[in-house]
Amino acid sequence: MGETITPKLVMNFASAFGTFLNSQKVLLGRDTRVSGPMLHSAAISALLAAGCDILDLGICPAPILQYLVKRLKAKGAISISAGHNDSNWNALTFINQEGTYLNDYQGEEILDIYHLGKFKKVSSDRLGKIKTQKDYLDIYFKKLVQFLDSETIKKANFKVVIDPCNGGGAGIVDIFCQYLNCELVPVNNEPSGYFPHDPEPRPRNAQEVASITKIVKANVGFLLNSDVSRVSVVAEDGETLSEEYTFPLVASYYLEKKPGLVVTNHCTSRMIEDAARCFDCGVIKTKVGQSYSIQSMIDEGAVMAGEGSGSVAICEFQLAFDGFLAMGMILEMMARKKKKISEIAEELPKYHIVKEKIYCPPVKVHSVVSEVKKLYSHQEVSLSDGIKVEKEDGWINIRASATEPMIRIISESCSKEKAQERLERASNFISQLV
Amino acid sequence: MGDSLTPQLSASFAQAFGSYLGRGKVIVGQDARISGTMVKNAIYSGIISVGCQPVNIGICPIPSILILVKERKAIGGIAVTASHNPKDWNGLKFINEKGLFFNHSQIEEFLDIYHQGDFSLVKVENYKSLLYEKNPTDPHLKKLLKYLNVDLIRRKKFKVAADCYNGAGAVLVPQFLKALGCQMILINTTLDGAFAHHPEPIPENISKLSRIIKEKKADIGFVQDADADRLAIVNEKGEPIGEELTLALAVKYILNKKSGPVVTNLSTTQAIDDIADEHNAPVFRTKIGEINVVEEIINRKALIGGEGNGGVIFPELHPCRDSFTAIGLTLESMASSGKSISQLQEEIPKYYMIKDKIDGTPEQAYSMLRELKKIYSGKEQISTLDGLKINFRDAWVHIRPSNTEPIIRIVAEAKRRDEVEMLLEKFKKEILGMLKWK
Repeated sequence: MGETITPKLVMNFASAFGTFLNSQKVLLGRDTRVSGPMLHSAAISALLAAGCDILDLGICPAPILQYLVKRLKAKGAISISAGHNDSNWNALTFINQEGTYLNDYQGEEILDIYHLGKFKKVSSDRLGKIKTQKDYLDIYFKKLVQFLDSETIKKANFKVVIDPCNGGGAGIVDIFCQYLNCELVPVNNEPSGYFPHDPEPRPRNAQEVASITKIVKANVGFLLNSDVSRVSVVAEDGETLSEEYTFPLVASYYLEKKPGLVVTNHCTSRMIEDAARCFDCGVIKTKVGQSYSIQSMIDEGAVMAGEGSGSVAICEFQLAFDGFLAMGMILEMMARKKKKISEIAEELPKYHIVKEKIYCPPVKVHSVVSEVKKLYSHQEVSLSDGIKVEKEDGWINIRASATEPMIRIISESCSKEKAQERLERASNFISQLV
Repeated sequence: MGDSLTPQLSASFAQAFGSYLGRGKVIVGQDARISGTMVKNAIYSGIISVGCQPVNIGICPIPSILILVKERKAIGGIAVTASHNPKDWNGLKFINEKGLFFNHSQIEEFLDIYHQGDFSLVKVENYKSLLYEKNPTDPHLKKLLKYLNVDLIRRKKFKVAADCYNGAGAVLVPQFLKALGCQMILINTTLDGAFAHHPEPIPENISKLSRIIKEKKADIGFVQDADADRLAIVNEKGEPIGEELTLALAVKYILNKKSGPVVTNLSTTQAIDDIADEHNAPVFRTKIGEINVVEEIINRKALIGGEGNGGVIFPELHPCRDSFTAIGLTLESMASSGKSISQLQEEIPKYYMIKDKIDGTPEQAYSMLRELKKIYSGKEQISTLDGLKINFRDAWVHIRPSNTEPIIRIVAEAKRRDEVEMLLEKFKKEILGMLKWK
């Protein structure tokens, strides 16, 4: 939601969720966006009116919220954040009792309730009550430390640069580092909601981290999105790794310990397929989006899931994309392998991936996408999510964004020139149509 | 409002409020009702969406909220309270930048904006955060202690029993009475939204307090309503002195210090006029409704005023009903005179008042009142400011349609009980005859 967001809209969606949950307990968390307090109070009001008890975690990264749903025996959660979207955006993300995003069926049900407008309303003696929980971060981090080989990480005495972009991770990364005995060099670590750059962990937003990491002689740098579901990595030499590296880096380490199926989407770098192949692991591809990846991980019995946007989920830890987990795994890998992050990244096959997004009014999206199909009519096209054309040396994917009025193009190849050439061809074609 | 005050509706009211008053801070307070949190959060979201900054002050007495709005230079305030109505009701009271409730024309302008839905929504980057005020009663307490003769009261070491009725008063009563050096016996001070007895501070509802006063030999007992703007007093014998006397005692004490205009509504005891006469002070009567009394107090530059329901308004502190001012003036009056509350009670001219009601639609009431006016105008001294008030010698009757229910209210007062009973019966009969005839 952008400019159109109003208290009433937020309330109607929260009322629909409260109705869906039939007055059961809900967790509530938000990131630091300026619009956060408005959405937060609107959601509280609507949930209480629907008779839901609320455990309000205030500013809380999505993966922590998702972990706590099950642990604190709630029946669902609302995360108020727009992840990687710019600061004027915000949204409600509904989470079910398993701690995962709602699946398609559950989502449809909420929309049905929303459109019908028949919201559950309880009498005043049954109104929900709101509580807070102070130690919620410790509950999560204790679990994370238990999952990781934290003794080895602690002994390594790492120095780490982290840029939470003044988002939901601000201040909380300090606790993460304390638990793992890392020295933190924080960048943009105020929970102010004023984003100094787009909260999307990508090389173009990593300039500050990249320039500091080498100077302070840190072992690694991390860049987070505003709900800490995505991470990108900066090597100790100041080299910014594409966000595409995060998932293959973690997978190449984790699959060695625990081989199994891997889930990713159609727009993720072939690096993950190469990494999985090393350990004879299969790769399943889904549509773009956390809910599809996680659902597929559950359905197919996969051991991990992730996306090229810098997201990683490990099934035995929790059913959510988790930036703290990704950072922890990378630190563990560095500590156990006793290698620099640049050396580990070097071991991954080299691809060149280029991305672009083009504004497209929602009414035109459909016609533009079908026109694009014609562009590739003489080739083999996969239509599982947008349009994907596979080549010997790489691939190109063109699809409408699910959250913004944008068409996204992603092109990958062993050859930088080929990747760029394919991107430009598609980009020019679409620009003419729009 | 009952069940109808939904989150969506509350947010719309808050949006209309911010659109009406412009940008700035909006103080948001509540009484202890369970639905307060739900309604308040809806208000925050509405306030933020139109570019104003909500200030959460938690559970707070109404007079403290009004004073805070003015002191903090807020553009206004919203109080989430249903005053003396049952616990499952809730409502909103809108406050302007002077710390006064909206008057009738402000309410109309504001409702126009609400009904048109023409809210001045701002862009997200202009959203303000939610502020908290930790000690919202401080400006109120400071004013009280500055005005009152604290040393005089402290020396008396009064033993005071107070029933806060599980209402907002409980957040300030202990602090206030402590500052006045009183020994306290407090009941019903938990703020869980479950009110201990019927919210009207009328004699039937205060038996527990009466018992405590007798057992513990307290000098006086006080009963507040849910939002702590009104006060009932119980004497040292455990007898409620009647709410009409809360104002009469305060008026008498203030006029003893200095003479000046007094304002009250048409249904308040005639004892006020008798007291004022002794001091050559004029009394101005208004329509029923707190804001009417307040506006007249301001217009007439009155010294004191209020309502017979236990609402004392003392503009030197702030032009609003304030149970704390009433408590302070009563204790000071006892301290300076050296008299017990029952002795002070005896000095107030004695009247008997009966309040009654008859079923009747506004249309029925209108034609009935027209008939009554015809009969009594010229014969007796009448006022048609609000319904019809007929003044006899040492007695009166006031008949008016209710603003909120299809009933006709009748209040009568006289020097003797049998006299007032007769007066009331006579008029009830007359009115019922007219209603039947219609």
